[in-house]
Parts: sequence; structure tokens; C-alpha cells
Amino acid sequence: MKRKVRWPSYLIAILIVVFFLWPVLYVIFSSFKTLNEISSPNPTFFPDQWTLQSYIDVFQKANFLRYIGNSFFVAVSSTALAVVINTMAGYALSKFRFKGDKIILIIILSTIMLPLEVIMVPIYRVLTFFGMTDTYAALIIPAAATPTGIFLMRQYLVTIPDDLIESARIDGASEWKIFTRIIVPNAKAAIATLAIFSFMWRWNDYIWPLIAITDMNKYTMQLAIANLNGEFSMDYNGILASATISMVPMLFVFLIFQRQFVQGTAQTGMKG
Amino acid sequence: MRNQSKTIKTESYKAYKFKQKIIPYLFLTPNLLIFGIFIILPALIGVYYSFHDVELLHMDELTFVGFQNYINLFKDKEFTSALLHTILLVILTVPLIYVISLSLALLIVKPLRAKGLFRASYYWPVMISALVVGVIWYFIVNGSSSMFNSFWTRIGFAESDTLGDPIFAWATVIIAIVWSRAGYYMIIFMAALLSIPVSLYEAADVDGATKWQKFWGVTYPSLRASRVMVMILVVMEIFKTYPIIVQLTAGGPNDSTMFVVQKIYETAFVDGAKEIGYASAMSIILLIFVTIISAVNFAANKGGTD
Repeated sequence: MKRKVRWPSYLIAILIVVFFLWPVLYVIFSSFKTLNEISSPNPTFFPDQWTLQSYIDVFQKANFLRYIGNSFFVAVSSTALAVVINTMAGYALSKFRFKGDKIILIIILSTIMLPLEVIMVPIYRVLTFFGMTDTYAALIIPAAATPTGIFLMRQYLVTIPDDLIESARIDGASEWKIFTRIIVPNAKAAIATLAIFSFMWRWNDYIWPLIAITDMNKYTMQLAIANLNGEFSMDYNGILASATISMVPMLFVFLIFQRQFVQGTAQTGMKG
Repeated sequence: MRNQSKTIKTESYKAYKFKQKIIPYLFLTPNLLIFGIFIILPALIGVYYSFHDVELLHMDELTFVGFQNYINLFKDKEFTSALLHTILLVILTVPLIYVISLSLALLIVKPLRAKGLFRASYYWPVMISALVVGVIWYFIVNGSSSMFNSFWTRIGFAESDTLGDPIFAWATVIIAIVWSRAGYYMIIFMAALLSIPVSLYEAADVDGATKWQKFWGVTYPSLRASRVMVMILVVMEIFKTYPIIVQLTAGGPNDSTMFVVQKIYETAFVDGAKEIGYASAMSIILLIFVTIISAVNFAANKGGTD
């Protein structure tokens, strides 16, 4: 099956690379331009005069360091919680037979069809009932239980041989010990995939913070970016700088974990 | 370890059996609690609210109004136009994403050199938050100092007020969505393409099939499960469109890119009396649309199984 790929394929592939990459690079380079240059009628790709002024603005006019910290704290905590509880659920749904197992799986998976955007109004009601509005808990806990995460873990854990678990049981290991000593070490690959996806979801999330947070001190970066031109009366170069600050860590995460992203997308997307 | 194994042996079989029955539920508890409290319960409250007159600032004062909210919705020009915009967006964007992501997948499964590099660049925008995607495309198209206008005037057109013009604004929203999501669905198609048995193509070669015939005879039918999957996922995603337009068009010009989720959000949390009962009715309508379209898609493709 060795077919030769001719040059038109390469040409097309490269043109598409340009289409996908230049908007990102253009914004990143433009965040280093002066305000004058950004509003000049002859835009160039690279800055004529490099400046960090937009970044200084972002940190001075808006408390951006705090928002980066909030985003990071929320993303890391929620991811840690997501990994623990979704692996637990995946274990229960893959290695046990119990009353209602099928129904529970179906209910969990069908919540994929119930997007947050559809229930954001009553969720606000629930958050106020528990006194959770304007708390980090509201950003961390609810989002940690994701049907996609459970599904991913379940599909992976099914492949762990039952013998491994059975022999540990015969040795008298407690169920929790089986979980931490056998299941978790054997599911490292799936856990890594879930962790980086969860981090990306939380880092990029806009709707949850929008519903749960009004206190500026608890703003995540996405919420801050959405309000930069309003509340902080930021110039557009500040918005470009903040967009860059939001994108760049994810791009590095992607470069490092590319394989996990591709496999994770292929797996969860295939079966939903 | 040794002590524990003794206790197991002395433990009665019944007690052990009982423990084994309880354990899976214990492992599921944290998730089920969160699902119950933050998804199932709100969904039920949403249905309940949709039959009541309730305002955000007086959430405990409910007046039962029956189907009045729903009846009002269909007389409400702002809502019906947001709903129509959303449906139009689905009609315009879904086929584009579908065709483009499949084409990209077909391209990157070829034995190209530096294949990984191409794949990574196409997937890259998937990593960017929808809000920032809006920032990026706003910057590219809007205003006289934008890249787009510099190009547009150079090829001889008058400067465009891009996001002030409904047609241009729509085009920008669609390009931004396709740009940021095509790579994701490309990967799903890629995985499906790679799992098609090579023997099918070899058989087609023996029969002297052309490239075109091989695509329609082998590739396309083999992709049925993932085609249904992608279709359902994209439709759901487009119905939820909101964060991407926050910094791009903000629903403008003149509400021409106002979609249902923005309407729900503004009705419940921003506008006037903040009527959450009315907003909940909008949510239910949105949910009904998403469900019907997914079900039709699923049924039309016989469940996506072979």
C-alpha cells in the first residue's frame, strides 16, 4: 500500500496550515505592538516597534495576575477532583455487576445531551440554595463530574484483566486498596488523558464562571477577558495581550501532550 | 496483608457478598451526588420554573401560569428570531464543519512526510477558548486597521464595517466556528479512517475501482458510525453557540447574531425583571430542538451501527 504522495497534496496541506496558524500568531505578535501601530490603517504581521506596554496595562489596570492565579487554582483543583471521582465511577461501572448498573450508565451518558447552557438558570438557583455563588467551590465541584470523563475511564478500565483484581481479593486486599494499588497504576494512560482534557476545559470555560461568579476577586481569566472593555475600560491591545496570556499555556500543554489529545478525542468522540 | 486475609476467611460468606454489593455504589457516590444535585435537580427545577412566573430577585415567589410562558415565547419576536438564527446557524455551519473535517482527515491519513506536524497545526485552534477565538477574529476583521480591511480595500472594495454589517458579521461568526472546531472532528474521522481494513481497498483495487469509486464504495459507508457521531456532536455544539460571540459580535449588529443561549442568559440575568421562569421555558424549547434533531439523525442512520 505504498502510494506516493504528489506535491499538490503538500501544497494544499501547507496552505491549510497557514489558515489555521496565522490568526493565532498574528494576535500574539500584535500583542507586542504599540497602540498606535494597532490602530494604523496599514497593519503588518510583525511589530515595527516591540513593546510590552499592553502587558503592563493588563497587569496594572486589571488585576490580571490574580485572574491567572484563580484560573490555575480552579483548573488544577477541579482536575484533581475529576480524576479521583471519575476513576472511581469508571471502576464501579467497568468491574462490578450490580443492580441498576446499566441504568446508571445510561443516565450518566444521557446527561451529555443536557448541556450546561440549557440548565444554567436553575443551576443558579441550586448554587444560591447551597450558598455557593461567588465561591471557588462552585467552579471546582460541579464541573468535576463529567460524563465524558466517566466514559473514558470506563472504556479503559474494562481492559484491565479481572484476574488481577480477583487475586488481590483472595489475598484479602480491601476494595479501596485494590483501587489505589491496582486500578490507578494500571490506568495511568487514561488518567493522564482525562487530566489534560479536564485542565483544558476548566481553563477555557466561560459559562460556569459566568453563572457562578460576580465578585471580581474571584474572576477567572475568561471572565476577565469578557469584561476587559467594559469594567476595566481596557484598550484593544490589552485585550490582545490577555488573549495571548490565556492561549499560550494551552499551546504548550498541547505541544507536550499532543498524543493524549489526539487519542482522547478519537476515543471519546467515537463512542461519545 | 496476612491479618486481613484471615479476617476475610473468618468473615461469613453472606457478609462478604453484602459488602461486594455495596461497594460499587460507594465508588459511584461522589459522581452521582454531583450529577444529582447539579444536573438532574436543575433540569427538573427548569421544567418546573418554565410553568411559573418567577423573577431572579424573588426566586421563591412562584405563580403558576401553565403554558403561558410557552405561548408568550412564540409571540415574542426577539425569541423567535434568536431561535431562527440558531437554526440557520446550524444549517449553515454543520455541513461546512462536516465536509471540512472529513476532507482534512482524508488529507492527513495520506502517507505525507511531517504528517504529525500538519495534524497538530489543524488541531491547534481546538485548544483555544471560544471567548478568545472571538477576540482573535474580531481583531482580524473589524475596523479600518484590521487585516481584513487592508486586504479588502487593496483588492478594490470600499472599506467594510465588517461587524456592523449582518452578512459580514455572519460570515465571520461561521468562519470563526469552523476554524476553531474542524480540527477536533478531523481527529474523530481520522481514527475511523485508520480503522477501515486495508483488505477492503485491496479488493477494490483488484476490481479496478477508481479513487472516486473507492471513496463512495468503501470509505464513506465504512465511516457511518463516526458520521452519525460527528453530526450529533456538531449539531449540539452549534445549538449552544454563545461564548464565541461575546467578544466578536456580542449578538449584533441589531441582534442579527443573537442566538438562543445568549437570549436565555440575558432574559434570566440581565434584562429588565430577570424573568427566570420565562428563560427556563426558552431552555426547554432549546432542549427539545436538540433532542429531536439528534434523534432524527440517529434514526435516519439506523443508530450508526452496522
